[in-house]
Amino acid sequence: MLDTKITVIDESKKCMPRASVISTEKRSDRWSLLLVQVGENRDRKAFAQLFSHFAPLLKSFAQASKHDGWFPGLSEELVQEVMIKVWQKASGYKPEKASATTWIYTVARNCRIDMLRRKSNTQHLPLENEDFWHEPDEETPVSLLRQKRSEDKVQASLEQLPKEQDEILRKVYLEGKSHAEASEELGLPLGTVKSRVRLALQKMQILVAPEFRDELI
Amino acid sequence: MSTLKHHPDTAMLVEFSAGTLEPALAICVSAHLHFCDRCRNELLRLDQVGSQIMSQSEPSEVDEQLFDKVMAQIDNLPEQTQNPKPARSNYYPALVEQLIENTGEELSWRKMSPSVDVARLKTGQSDYEVALHKICAGGKTPKHGHSGREFTVVLKGSFSDENAVYTEGDFLLKEAGDEHQPMGAQNGECICLSALAAPIKLSSKLGFLMKPWLRINPI
Ligand SMILES: [Zn+2]
Repeated sequence: MLDTKITVIDESKKCMPRASVISTEKRSDRWSLLLVQVGENRDRKAFAQLFSHFAPLLKSFAQASKHDGWFPGLSEELVQEVMIKVWQKASGYKPEKASATTWIYTVARNCRIDMLRRKSNTQHLPLENEDFWHEPDEETPVSLLRQKRSEDKVQASLEQLPKEQDEILRKVYLEGKSHAEASEELGLPLGTVKSRVRLALQKMQILVAPEFRDELI
Repeated sequence: MSTLKHHPDTAMLVEFSAGTLEPALAICVSAHLHFCDRCRNELLRLDQVGSQIMSQSEPSEVDEQLFDKVMAQIDNLPEQTQNPKPARSNYYPALVEQLIENTGEELSWRKMSPSVDVARLKTGQSDYEVALHKICAGGKTPKHGHSGREFTVVLKGSFSDENAVYTEGDFLLKEAGDEHQPMGAQNGECICLSALAAPIKLSSKLGFLMKPWLRINPI
């Protein structure tokens, strides 16, 4: 027991320097530049370009939902809601923190959940989903170097995942299934679902210190 | 830089990132994130996974009127007022402040034991009771089991049990049946946020032996 504790402390120290690396690199992909223009200049042409790229992706994200109470008619409603939010919130977009694709994804995820909660009568949560992602006032240095590298890598490494790991990530992120629901649906023990997700993330180098996390589980 | 030692596990962060975590637990994770830049970093990368999965999917054709509809709504948006942020004390993580505000005058501290006070927060959830706990300085709590899973995040001060010392931001999970005996730090009171699962009915011997410390009464 004591041994485990000591390892835990060591591991957390080991990963600290990595997390405080700051990069001054600017994000320069096309969509992020357009989103900055929308935020800074209320640029409608830039917004139109974002719309034609993201609206079809958002619709397909909406259609993939397997949440209870979701139906296809909600898909375009979600696209509208997300794109309006993108317009409204673009001035708060920080390109050094996330790409436009990731930022718009988080808006879509939050909208999708809020829409479901609004339509369900059993939940009376006094919060909007974006409230859960509140950033503390003092900005913490984000490992942007690592951030950028992983963003480039994520796409490629996703394609190389074994089918069973890819399938689970899709269930979780696209269909909106909890681990427990995925386990029921696939007829797999919950532990197997969790470890497949973890394996996939380790392969993609998403976890800060996977060996350290494993000790906590 | 944080030196936190107790974090939510990967599965919880993934569910938080995908938006499938139960709200009561998401409240605890969110409170932990306020203190933990390491988990915040990890979450950013988990969000990238979601975003890449989304952007890899086959685009689905949208109604050609949709763009005009969106622009029409944008033109009719009320003039944007610069985010009138409600004045909050900033004593707790923003989400907790928001819940306290929402609970309003119904927020009341009740004695659980001579050294522990509890105030329930209104969250509209029936599966979990979300509450603030206050352990007075040096306060000993009775050794207790848990009637259901309990998630705890330290918000102020620190406390310890047989296993470790928990300081601001630390995230703990006790499974139903786990026993421990928390003790408040000598140098000041300790305030925690907790989410306790509605008790599962245990018919085993274990259930008979357990002394539930908290009773759940969802609002
Ligand atoms: Zn953490």
